[in-house]
Amino acid sequence: MSRHFRELSVVGALAVVLIAMALFAPAFFQPQPLLSLATREAPTLVVACGMAVVIICRQIDISVGSMFSVVSVCAGLLAARGWPLLLVLPVAAALGAALGALNGLLVAGLRLPSIVVTLATMVALRQGLNLVRQGEFVNMPDAVQWFGLPQATGQWLLVGSALALLVGLGLALRHLAAGRFVYAVGTEAEAARLAGIRPQRVTFAVFVFIGALTGLAAMMNIVQSPQVQPLSGMGLELKVIAAVVVGGVAISGGRGNLWGAFAGLLLLACVAPALTHLRIEAYWEKAIQGAIILLAVVADGVRQRKQN
Amino acid sequence: MKSLLRPLLAATLALALASGAFAAAASSKLIVAFLPKSKGNAYFISCKAGAEKAAKELGVELLFDGPTDSNAAKQNEIVENWITLGVDVIAVAAENREGISTALRKAQKQGIKVVTYDADAMPDARSFFVNQATPEGIGQALMDEAARLLNGEGEFSMIVATLTAANQREWQKHIEARLKEKYPKMKLVAVRPCDDLKDKAQSEATAMMSANPNLKLIMAICSPGVPGAAEAVKQAGKTGQVKVIGLGLPNENKRYVHEGVTDTVILWNTGDLGYLTIYAGVALAKGELKPGAKSFKAGSLGTFAIQGDNILLGKPFAFNKGNIDQFNF
Repeated sequence: MSRHFRELSVVGALAVVLIAMALFAPAFFQPQPLLSLATREAPTLVVACGMAVVIICRQIDISVGSMFSVVSVCAGLLAARGWPLLLVLPVAAALGAALGALNGLLVAGLRLPSIVVTLATMVALRQGLNLVRQGEFVNMPDAVQWFGLPQATGQWLLVGSALALLVGLGLALRHLAAGRFVYAVGTEAEAARLAGIRPQRVTFAVFVFIGALTGLAAMMNIVQSPQVQPLSGMGLELKVIAAVVVGGVAISGGRGNLWGAFAGLLLLACVAPALTHLRIEAYWEKAIQGAIILLAVVADGVRQRKQN
Repeated sequence: MKSLLRPLLAATLALALASGAFAAAASSKLIVAFLPKSKGNAYFISCKAGAEKAAKELGVELLFDGPTDSNAAKQNEIVENWITLGVDVIAVAAENREGISTALRKAQKQGIKVVTYDADAMPDARSFFVNQATPEGIGQALMDEAARLLNGEGEFSMIVATLTAANQREWQKHIEARLKEKYPKMKLVAVRPCDDLKDKAQSEATAMMSANPNLKLIMAICSPGVPGAAEAVKQAGKTGQVKVIGLGLPNENKRYVHEGVTDTVILWNTGDLGYLTIYAGVALAKGELKPGAKSFKAGSLGTFAIQGDNILLGKPFAFNKGNIDQFNF
């Protein structure tokens, strides 16, 4: 119980929000809008899973938003040219993985700080995309949306895949050797090395991993509407890092899990629609999200002090 | 012989290179240079179409060049080149208000007439700004269109880019003023920001509809907000029941307009903007248009009002099912 206190406190906060909504704005719980909102968050969840792993490994990747945009536009262009989606999907994931590998090479190979490397790739990818697309939308054939399935089926498919991925990765991180390596490297790279783990390889791998997941997420996003906005994914890095940190993943590495990140994402994602339902001015949205993040960081700080 | 041939060849080549300027000096044709923020952008290409039409009618030569991306420094470079070339008129959509003004003042000193369009430079760096739409005009057009669609009655909501952006606040102010003044039976029930993201606009619109069951219309005043709101309405199965209008680009909204989700997209007619700009520039060069003028006649488009040193393009243009396919930007 106490071991999972941090994650459970987020779940508790989420429960409070949901109960408040049930009392004051029961219209919040209508199936269609909720499914639509959940579907919109499904790609974010996939990227958040990747971010949790990267942060547990004591790294960070702030280029995910730009990678997401680049892959979205490329995948959208391929789909617009009539490529079958089953072929676009692996291409999107591979492109994401390749972009992640670039970050990984620079961070693990040259031992550069990940925040600087991914800041550079974030800016470079975003500006490159602006240069090429000039903000122009990619219009795709109608059959791309929901993979050509009925809307509800497509939505459940996306939400279901994101949840399945969450559970699979969450268990793998806890029980597979590769997952434990990430914790080991994130806790103390030198100790991990002495234990026979190659920290640089693990670091490289987590960047490829988040890249591939970001590519996959971009694909899960473009099938939700018939158009791709090149700006899509802007600010995604902040959203997922916030979710992960709120969910109890320590920014200092080595601690946390995907369940917490999931709860953190749900909590933050509830803020905007909850405010709309409670008729509270939108000015509060970012302030409340900021306060939640601050609270989480303070809680982590207090806990760490107690431990020392 | 050989040694004579080489300088001759070089001279011919130089002459050929300079022929643009040479031809201009030789003929009495005015040269009008037209500078977009970015030359690959469909928006400016559609401005150029109108500019070409005007140039043809007026019998002037049109030069069109601009940065490949929205690059303020590159704009300066192009203007400098045009000064060297000795064009008669320069028409500019300024990427950087202050940045471009130095080069434009220099052009004016050389006797070149300068007008701006789409995005203004500093007032002393040009004679006139061809103003595509005043905030008041945009606000009123959006509000009037919303009222027309709802017969002046019912709840509506707004999606803005951010709550603090100056242009958004300005438009919102005029929308609300018009609402208060003319449409007492309409009610603005929510204003939500979408950070210029279509995806966020969609989520916001989804929540707006579920929170306000009597919502009749969503008005988006940032361009990605319009298709975002439309997709939300479509996914909610409320096509026709909740109408969508907004400020946006035809290409981003065509499919929703044809599906009947989005009723009207408001913007200005970009072709007319280019046309009017060229007419204004040429009239300046010919001395027919002088500072202080109150109105101005531009070919087949008729007469335009001038407010101070702003030539007003006038009422915004409404794109709808009937005309949207004629525009490609």
